[in-house]
Amino acid sequence: MKSSYIIALVLILVSIGIFISASADVSTYATFGTAITSQSRVKIAGTLDKNKTMEYDPTVDADRFVFHMSDSDGVSNKVILQKPKPQDFERSEQIVLTGAMENDVFVADEILMKCPSKYKEEEIALRK
Amino acid sequence: MNEIEYLGEHLWVGTVGHLSIIMGFVASLFTAFTYYRCTQTRGTEPSDGWRTLGRIGWMVHSVCVFSLFGVILYAMSQYYYEYQYVQAHVSDDLPMRYILSAFWEGQEGSFMLWMIWHAVLGMFVWRRDYKWESPVLAVVVLINAVIFSMLLGLYVDFGDTVFKIGANPTLLLRNVLELPLFMNADYTSLITGNGLNPLLQNYWMTIHPPMLFLGFASTAFPFAFAIAGLWTGDHKGWLKPATNWSLFSAGVLGTGILMGAIWAYEALSFGGYWAWDPVENASLVPWMLLVAGVHTHLIARNSGYAIRSTYLFYILTFVFILYSTYLTRSGVLGETSVHAFTEMGLGYQLVFFVLFFLLLGIFLYIYRYKSIPAPEREENIKSREFWMFIGSLVLMFGGFLIISSTSLPVFNKIATYFNEDYIGRVIEDPIEHFNKFQLWIAVFISILSSVAIYLRYGSKQRKWSRITKHILIAAVIAAVLTYLLTFWISYKGAWQYTLLTFFGLFAMVANVDYIFTQTKNDIRLSSSAVAHFGFGAMMLGIITSGLNQSFISNNPFVFGESMDDVSRKRSIVLIKGEPLYSEGHFITWQSDTLIANMRHYDINFKKIDEERNVLEEWNLRPNAVYANDFSKISAFNPDTRHKWHEDIFTCILNLSPPMMSQEQLKEMEDTLVYNTYYANVGDTIRGLENDIVIERLSYEPSHPEYNPADNDFGVSLVTSFYNRESKKDSTVETSLGLRGPLVYKYPEKIESFGVRVRPADTLMNMIFPIETDLVYIPYKTTLGSSFTVDGTTIELVELNNKPAKTSYKPEDGDIAIEARLKVTRNGISYPATPTYVIRGNIPMSIKHYIPQTGTHIRFSNIDPINETFGFKVAQQSTELPPLAIEVAEKVTRSDLLLLEAKIFPGINIFWSGTIMMMMGLLMAWLLRVFYKSDRDRKQKKES
Repeated sequence: MKSSYIIALVLILVSIGIFISASADVSTYATFGTAITSQSRVKIAGTLDKNKTMEYDPTVDADRFVFHMSDSDGVSNKVILQKPKPQDFERSEQIVLTGAMENDVFVADEILMKCPSKYKEEEIALRK
Repeated sequence: MNEIEYLGEHLWVGTVGHLSIIMGFVASLFTAFTYYRCTQTRGTEPSDGWRTLGRIGWMVHSVCVFSLFGVILYAMSQYYYEYQYVQAHVSDDLPMRYILSAFWEGQEGSFMLWMIWHAVLGMFVWRRDYKWESPVLAVVVLINAVIFSMLLGLYVDFGDTVFKIGANPTLLLRNVLELPLFMNADYTSLITGNGLNPLLQNYWMTIHPPMLFLGFASTAFPFAFAIAGLWTGDHKGWLKPATNWSLFSAGVLGTGILMGAIWAYEALSFGGYWAWDPVENASLVPWMLLVAGVHTHLIARNSGYAIRSTYLFYILTFVFILYSTYLTRSGVLGETSVHAFTEMGLGYQLVFFVLFFLLLGIFLYIYRYKSIPAPEREENIKSREFWMFIGSLVLMFGGFLIISSTSLPVFNKIATYFNEDYIGRVIEDPIEHFNKFQLWIAVFISILSSVAIYLRYGSKQRKWSRITKHILIAAVIAAVLTYLLTFWISYKGAWQYTLLTFFGLFAMVANVDYIFTQTKNDIRLSSSAVAHFGFGAMMLGIITSGLNQSFISNNPFVFGESMDDVSRKRSIVLIKGEPLYSEGHFITWQSDTLIANMRHYDINFKKIDEERNVLEEWNLRPNAVYANDFSKISAFNPDTRHKWHEDIFTCILNLSPPMMSQEQLKEMEDTLVYNTYYANVGDTIRGLENDIVIERLSYEPSHPEYNPADNDFGVSLVTSFYNRESKKDSTVETSLGLRGPLVYKYPEKIESFGVRVRPADTLMNMIFPIETDLVYIPYKTTLGSSFTVDGTTIELVELNNKPAKTSYKPEDGDIAIEARLKVTRNGISYPATPTYVIRGNIPMSIKHYIPQTGTHIRFSNIDPINETFGFKVAQQSTELPPLAIEVAEKVTRSDLLLLEAKIFPGINIFWSGTIMMMMGLLMAWLLRVFYKSDRDRKQKKES
């Protein structure tokens, strides 16, 4: 048997091992409901709840932005983002938060936003 | 409805552009076909005829590529907004130097750039490789045909669904959008463009895309050679001419990716050079496969093994380049990427693009599999090729790991086709996920790229003892260095990082040793060692600058629900002019200046020791970029202090909301509560937190935004504030200006006192009484004489028939005479110039008001017979009424900024490592092309 076959076999075994262990890094988007039950670090996708007020005062704490988000089940929950308020936050179409439930509040430390792209804007700027 | 005859459109651009697309597409297909026939009939007479046709087709296709590029670029440089592509990417205020950036900001532009490189590079195959010209260029031109199809803009019906084939960049705006604006025949004079995203307005956007696309385009050549080899069945012949192409491609693609990393680090606010973002991964994986291919290619040329895997690597490299195009342009990545890529709605076409070339490659590979030479000897595990091959497999393996994780959104999409309720999967912490696995790939590559270089090709090996001696010495040196480094950096207590550092250093030491002891001064042999040394240095650089990066900005005042996450607070709030202490530094926002559309912030750093002695002081200037219309701040750019052993990176993360956008500024102004106070000059007003004194009234405002030329009249209140809490005082001048009938206010603020101040509206009436409240008394005088009104002496000095008064706006047919008066009260004289105007037989008088004396003068009539001149004068009391001022207190400060300051230790090790890797690849390519050793010359002579 060729030694390269042995190596190839080893690599295949290693890759199976890695894929199994990597699958632990993968999860589905949680909802606030599942986040409460699991109490672990999860990702939640949703949209900004525009009916509730936002709270951000950099003079008190620049890394604390409070808002409400509605998850895919339509449940709105208070969120504390431990980051400065992102630019164009109000315009976001979708928000993905990474964090965990602490009491009744979802405390997030990562945020990704999807904003409407410029192509979708059918606005033509007129000369002033 | 009648067709509208539009004005100001340049329709020839669209005609030439569209023609170029269609002709280019047809010519590419024609060329692919003729080169195909030329290859199929090779060795026979018709082949030459097909070749000639192919070359003509190639030239036509190239001309189309360039003319398309040319006309669109021209339309952009001329701001022809009637074209949708121009309108979307340039604007009136976009400087000419960003026209190229704007060109490839859009996908259509980057497709054109890609085609251009194919066309340019193809010429070198034509010039250099007569034998391989037809099969290789047939493949390359076929790729260009597919790219051309992305620009066709055709709509094809398939039953009920309409498929869009390509997006045409030469369409007119009015054909893309339906707007009432297009009812106006002269709409082109009304519109301007959207302009280039301010984030992309820097020189990196000018140089990075051409480099990256040169890299992308160059991968088509190893691929085309591989296809040509499979096609013609000459499995060994293509290896030699293709070597240069794959070395060049690996060097250029790598440089393109590296430039992206430098761009992210130098000019974007990410605060790093690599984030395992899907878009970054998508270009890294083909590069890894290409490098694996370069290694098996070398094995194939030196030992005859690994031709099959070389074929596969080059096919996969190109297919993964296409796949990366699909990932980044189809919108499938969705929310997993921070890169805001625009969708063209060409998802299906991109899938076709990927699958077509994947299937072409795989079909040919399977078809020819049996005929590909694969020596049946037992491999020698002591040979260099064996370990190089393993290295290539490890690289491929690493690449597959990255791309499978990156492709999760694609799997999710496919899964939802079969099961609509399928819930998409995501990686929880991508950076940790990738680092965890790639660390081992890096360790293996480090070992292999340092041990294998001591081995020889084939079975004639040196004694183990000689090899092990070198390896052992290198290992010992690396171990010592790993230990010594702990005096500078930390491995954070993780054995994995210690191990990676050790092997990184081992690769560096071993490859240096190799250059000096093994290459026998043959410079060509050292290029691989340079690249491998670079790889080791890159690993070391990742440990120093990535693992050991630290924050100067450490928010010391953290409250909140989650106290255990204090480590995540990595930004500080700076108040203008107030030094803040953080992590051994005093940081001060000293000033800021607006230059063009960027506001530059001068941030001063003082590094201090325990006794508060200043060890080092430096300034950094991060900036904020305004949107093209100045309505808001759309991006922040960092500034970095480069020292030889570390970088200090600074970026503004946020400003106070009123400074971020006009909208929020207005919102804040609207919520302020102003109290109105009435006071005489010198009286003290007791405000909520301040004692306020109007020091004096001035008729010559010095507010920076007040411009006397625009105003008829201006007044300002010089007001001092004494803050009772801080026991400090400050004086500001707030003004009012009258411009025609409009009153403009020029408010002022004292941020540190939380004060906003402005004159009250009624102030204008107090100083500048309403006309109807005045009592005018008529007087008559002659030139040179004077008269007195209530203690004010008025002398008529001269008359002037060309008045230049600001409140007099001349009209055609006006007869206007200005009286130049000298008005004296209490021994002080002021000039006055009331004007008498006859406009359309109606006499008018334009009054002059001297606020200092309280005198209103109108020039009311002219008696030419007696040479007397009539004036009407109203003299007010010079006693000023109490002045009205409006003050808002307890206002939230708006001179705040949120700053991130990071130290990247040894980042230059990372950069030099990566640069050396690319240099090694490009060096190998250049030496093959231009450098002939003595042995080569001898060989050439003999043959």
